[in-house]
Amino acid sequence: MSPVVEKMTSRERVLAALAGEPVDRPPVCTPTNVATVELMDLVEAPFPTANRDGEMNARLAATAYTELGFDTIAPYFSIIQESSALGCDMQWEQKDNWPTVRMSKPIWRNSTDVKIPADFLEHQDTKAITDSIRILKDEFGDEVAIVGKTMGPWTLAYHVFGVEPFLLGTVDDPAETMRALDALKEITILYGQAQIDAGADVLTLPDHATGDLVSGEYYRRFLLELHQELEEELPVPLILHICGATVDRMPYIAETGMAAFHFDSKNDPVEAMAAVDGKIRLVGNINNPTTLYARGPEEVRAEVNAALDAGVQLIAPECAIPLKTKLENLVEIPIAIEDWIAERGQN
Amino acid sequence: MPITHEGLAREFEFVSNPGERKHISEAIDGTAPIMQELAYELIVGNNTDVDRLTQEALADGFTANQLLDDGLLNGMAIVGVKFRDNLIFVPEVLVAARAMKAGMVHIEPILSASGAEPAGTVIMGTVKGDLHDIGKNLCIMMLRGAGFVVHDIGVDSSPEDFLDAVDEHGAQVVGMSALLTTTMPNMGRTIATFEDMGMRDQVRIMVGGAPVTQDFADEMGADAYGDNAVDAVDKAKELVELLAELQSS
Repeated sequence: MSPVVEKMTSRERVLAALAGEPVDRPPVCTPTNVATVELMDLVEAPFPTANRDGEMNARLAATAYTELGFDTIAPYFSIIQESSALGCDMQWEQKDNWPTVRMSKPIWRNSTDVKIPADFLEHQDTKAITDSIRILKDEFGDEVAIVGKTMGPWTLAYHVFGVEPFLLGTVDDPAETMRALDALKEITILYGQAQIDAGADVLTLPDHATGDLVSGEYYRRFLLELHQELEEELPVPLILHICGATVDRMPYIAETGMAAFHFDSKNDPVEAMAAVDGKIRLVGNINNPTTLYARGPEEVRAEVNAALDAGVQLIAPECAIPLKTKLENLVEIPIAIEDWIAERGQN
Repeated sequence: MPITHEGLAREFEFVSNPGERKHISEAIDGTAPIMQELAYELIVGNNTDVDRLTQEALADGFTANQLLDDGLLNGMAIVGVKFRDNLIFVPEVLVAARAMKAGMVHIEPILSASGAEPAGTVIMGTVKGDLHDIGKNLCIMMLRGAGFVVHDIGVDSSPEDFLDAVDEHGAQVVGMSALLTTTMPNMGRTIATFEDMGMRDQVRIMVGGAPVTQDFADEMGADAYGDNAVDAVDKAKELVELLAELQSS
């Protein structure tokens, strides 16, 4: 029987879980986002400004820890900060809608167009996040894990080339697709390193080669090596995030060397654990649109228990949550974990 | 063996459901070699050959409806099955759709000029806050191919945009698409707005999109959930019939 692990700080708990080491209890993680309209009102930090102003961003991001009891603070709420700095056409929306990139108006056509602006890291929308990380690090020190986020080359490609042209290109000219991804990878590294320099303990790396769009074989062919390179380049634990059905590509994802994979509720946690075969930790996978948004704490608790029973190492909503998600459902996640531990013990 | 084209016969083997095999083989059975070739070239996404074959077939005296039903839609039926069964994914569907468009360029003007009674009128849009349109556009293409008049209100469509379009075009069916779990709740808000405005009984509402499920559709109060573009056409047909029955009773 393993020795009982002494009570950890949130940061210790998250970093230990990501390293596959023993923890006092599985952490509640937010690799993507848990900001809601209620939390925006609570700390007077509404969207869209909270995405673009470091101080306001930090105020809203901190609520994941201070109000919800999560073990992480993740200040990059959306997936668009880099794309805005690259010059994409943006739709910033209002408080209750996510900012987004107008992908029907792509800014580039091919790999030779990929140019990183000299002031990329000084752009308001990239700087908002690095400023926020500094503020959060000052305020919380080593108490809680600060999770940054840097978009992977596949997701950046959707934004800068448009989803349809990019996906058509993967069939028409796969070699050109590889060149484009390789060029875009530099943006992932640049922004990831900037967040590490600012104090991020962990980085989420969303790269939406989702099972709803492309095959597992596509992941192996176009992304596996690039993800291995990114893991080598960025010296903090990385959490890869891909939405949708991903069990078919999990054996490849397990070969990336990354610390963890953040997976969607479309995947059964038991099947997912079997697919990764202990080679990467799993983070997830509480359903957003039905369970967290539309149901109640009892259903949330059932999903937390199912993930923990399956052996999922870090518990989290499956993706960025709908902005009108009820707080009582989010708060239920850490409570359910505590109860699960009280009932079953640490191991 | 009803399928004489070697490539199409190979593609047909991907259809494993007995009911679907029967349905698709009956549709292909007895069709002209050029129609089978057209179906095959569409499946493999060869838009240049679809463009050429469509023009040749029209010049040879085949009708636009023959080209659509015996060629393009038979090909898309197999594409739909392969997509649903995860044998192909969106890039392969997109190249097939591009090939279908290459054929439709020649067929659509002839069909429009024929004045045939449409299968129904559908409003299609991606919900507020969501700018993804690949799935929606595939559905629109398939619905138009099946004889529906489709009004595309685009992406980022507010509840009021859907209401106004129904009002303007007298549509029987509304189709809403979302790709993001964060924007899916806007489907429910749109349905609630139809109820609030007293327009819910005028239309049947179907929803779809990668993260959308039957459970979610039920939760939001939708009348149907389409799992893919082929399914969306079937659901639209059912909803038009259902609405007609409701309105006549």
